[in-house]
Amino acid sequence: MQLLAQDLVNGILAGGILAVVALGFSLVWGIMNIINLAHGAFIMLGAYVTYQLFVSFHLDPFLSLPISFVLLFGLGYLIQRFLINWVARAPILTTFLLTFGLSLLIVNLALIVWTGDTRGVSTSYSGANFTALGVTVPWAKFFTLLVALAITGVMHLWLTRSKTGRAIRATSMDIGAAQLSGVRTPQIYAIVYALSAGLAGVAGTLISLSYALTPTMGEPFLIKAFVVCVLGGLGSVQGALVGGLAYGIVEAFATQIDLPIGTQHISGSGLQDAIALVVLLIVLVVRPTGIMGKATA
Amino acid sequence: MSAPAATEVALRIENIGMRFGGLWALSEVSFEVQRGSVVGLIGPNGSGKTTLMNVISGVYKPTTGEVTYAGKRIADVPTHEVCHLGIARTFQVVKPFASLTVRENVAVGAMYGRSGGKRSTRASFERAQELLEIVGLSRVADRPASDLTIPDRKRLEVAKALALDPDVLLLDEVMAGLNATEVDEALELLRDVNRRGVTLIVVEHLMKAIVSISTTIVVLAEGKKIAQGAPVAVLASPQVIEAYLGSRWVKRQEALKQIEAEREHAARVQPPDARP
Amino acid sequence: MTRPSTVATLRRIGLGGITGSPVAFAVVLVLMALLLAVPFAHNGYVETTFRYILMYATMAYGWNMIGGYTGYVSFGQVAFFGIGAYCSAVLSTMKIDNLFADVALACVVAAAFAILIGLAVLQLKGHYFAIATLGVGLAVTDIVSNLDALGGTGGMNISQVDEAHFSVYYYAMWLVALGAILATYFIARSKLGYAFVAIRENEEAAAVLGINPRRYKIAAWAISATMAGAAGAVFAAANGHLEPSIAFSPDSNIFPIVMALLGGIGTVAGPFIGAVILAGVNELLQRYFVNVHTLFFGAVIVLVVLLLPRGLVWLFGLRGGARAWLKSLTVNKA
Repeated sequence: MQLLAQDLVNGILAGGILAVVALGFSLVWGIMNIINLAHGAFIMLGAYVTYQLFVSFHLDPFLSLPISFVLLFGLGYLIQRFLINWVARAPILTTFLLTFGLSLLIVNLALIVWTGDTRGVSTSYSGANFTALGVTVPWAKFFTLLVALAITGVMHLWLTRSKTGRAIRATSMDIGAAQLSGVRTPQIYAIVYALSAGLAGVAGTLISLSYALTPTMGEPFLIKAFVVCVLGGLGSVQGALVGGLAYGIVEAFATQIDLPIGTQHISGSGLQDAIALVVLLIVLVVRPTGIMGKATA
Repeated sequence: MSAPAATEVALRIENIGMRFGGLWALSEVSFEVQRGSVVGLIGPNGSGKTTLMNVISGVYKPTTGEVTYAGKRIADVPTHEVCHLGIARTFQVVKPFASLTVRENVAVGAMYGRSGGKRSTRASFERAQELLEIVGLSRVADRPASDLTIPDRKRLEVAKALALDPDVLLLDEVMAGLNATEVDEALELLRDVNRRGVTLIVVEHLMKAIVSISTTIVVLAEGKKIAQGAPVAVLASPQVIEAYLGSRWVKRQEALKQIEAEREHAARVQPPDARP
Repeated sequence: MTRPSTVATLRRIGLGGITGSPVAFAVVLVLMALLLAVPFAHNGYVETTFRYILMYATMAYGWNMIGGYTGYVSFGQVAFFGIGAYCSAVLSTMKIDNLFADVALACVVAAAFAILIGLAVLQLKGHYFAIATLGVGLAVTDIVSNLDALGGTGGMNISQVDEAHFSVYYYAMWLVALGAILATYFIARSKLGYAFVAIRENEEAAAVLGINPRRYKIAAWAISATMAGAAGAVFAAANGHLEPSIAFSPDSNIFPIVMALLGGIGTVAGPFIGAVILAGVNELLQRYFVNVHTLFFGAVIVLVVLLLPRGLVWLFGLRGGARAWLKSLTVNKA
């Protein structure tokens, strides 16, 4: 029982991060119909920005959140404006490959700058835990969860209350009508993509608190972002949150699995990607519209 | 081959209802399509014509009722097998296979349509060439389909549909965007196709075109069938006029006729003013 | 004006169309013939380099079938390559060291695997498929790395022929590459090829014309898996040692995509030409700038997508020269 509760809590803690990871990805997919394969690379950059600021200036990771947001926002804006915009009306294949190429570029530049060595951000509170109701909760992950929830809350408010936010939602629902109402689509696209990159950067910062950093760390998160979007539905904050938490919990339990195969036992923790794939396949077969309904192809 | 039985029914449309959310786009629509005929499907905007076409071609599954062809319910058949039954259609928004040539576009239909299984690649291309000549596209046969003008794209749609060797061809606003000459050419093409034994169901807004080509007209208004019959009779029927022009128009026409009749009566009683 | 109808007749019966430029194809065949002579140079380094070119060309043809012709981008071809590689390894432990057997088993297993996963994943549109393939690639790597029966992370060894006969691996790879080229050629000319292209251009319209999208997508993926698997099988045999990091290297995912893109997706000559150029460049890079090759390939992908989306073969067939090319660039701008 104890173990179950611990898994559940671990799942929720991880799920919060996944929600932020998936949020930007979901917006770009839902609103621009682009699957941004560079999303993982953006996450990685956010993490490394935090790392570098920590190592060079001893800046606390939580304080680097706005910095990584701004830097990645800027990068995303430039990429959208000068690269993606160029092929905005091309078939999906094209933007796929373009963002794939970008991802390779970014990851490999990171490899050159920071080498492939595993790095980490160890603050004074890095290893500290507290215990509640028999469950151990690392402080870093707990704060991460709080920040993640705050971010999703802010995003939700912004999307529903602010003028730009409403313009974005209008564009995703009916681009023609939105344009007729005066919404300027190229602007919106630029903002959405930049925002998505910024959110990825933030996610990266949060991740750097609890996980190891390598230049290829973003790739598994890309897949998880995809699965979360399928689970939770596209283009909505609630979807990303529900999907993220759901996936976090599923993964927490699944990694405890101990599969006996032949004379060997395979532990679930080495099979994270396989788990993601299995979840994806199950959802796609059983309920293609996701938990919240209304995912679009 | 003996003349086709004039009363043989090709398509049976029975009590079709189509609901989207809270709105019934179609209700209780029933009629039969005779083999070899040309059925014109008309009605004011929003009356459900394209919805009905989508139901007949299997794109939508009707909420109530069924469409049967050759004894099979169309709703039960997956999209890629509808053409194998013998039903083909054109789409209002034409999107050809852009990077293939015009001939290749049609050839794909010839390869995978109803007779496709028995055709080799070479035979499919030859069939495509024949069809391009019938629709008048042989001069652009080797151009990429993305290069075509709108009227030519419509022709290509027809050619692709014909490549499926259909018994029944559904044409959804094939003449939209054509000028008067192009409309006449299109009508001639359709007559030619019909003469070759293909039953046509045509949705069009151009009254003149519909009247000149249809053997029967079915009129929809607000999702219901309000008239069916020979073209001239149907178009003169008061319900149809009212559906298109509204009951206020009808009343106004009657009032105007009344005024005219009274004026004539008055003119007979008193000579008109000398002044013209 | 134009010469009479050899070209027109050819076109009328369907040749030339989606196979791409016949001239380019002829060039490829000539190059392949020349490559037969490589082992006679008695230079191990040269032979290995060209063996790798043939290997990547084969994988590029594989990707070309599902990604180029059918328009379903796959980021998981590495899974099939690795599976094929491990087929060789497994056969070797069973004391079967026959290259034909290796390739045959690899083809069967890879295709079966593609069909199985494809049944679930190919009923959906391209987005889902592409990411799912990413997941498949990673998942298969995970699983194989964890299986002790396949040597875990330490890997397995494959017994090899002696030094004197080592060229047999080269010829095997050559045959596999030839198979991929010819298969692509015959498929592109056939009804099957047109089904693939129709699906790529407009899947719904293809279905309306009688093409069962799911069946043909699975077929395309199975064919592409076969090619990748065959390449993997010969690779493993030639390498002598196999472990997950080698069998499932990200390079095996990325290289074929870039090569097919650069050479020309959806053509018969493209993957080969792309493979020759990029593998050659890669060799040079390795010599002077180690570890930069993936960066370079990322840049190539971006540049090709922006400037040359239909690849080099298209460019050579383009009428109108530089101006036509420049015009084609702005076509898709927002």
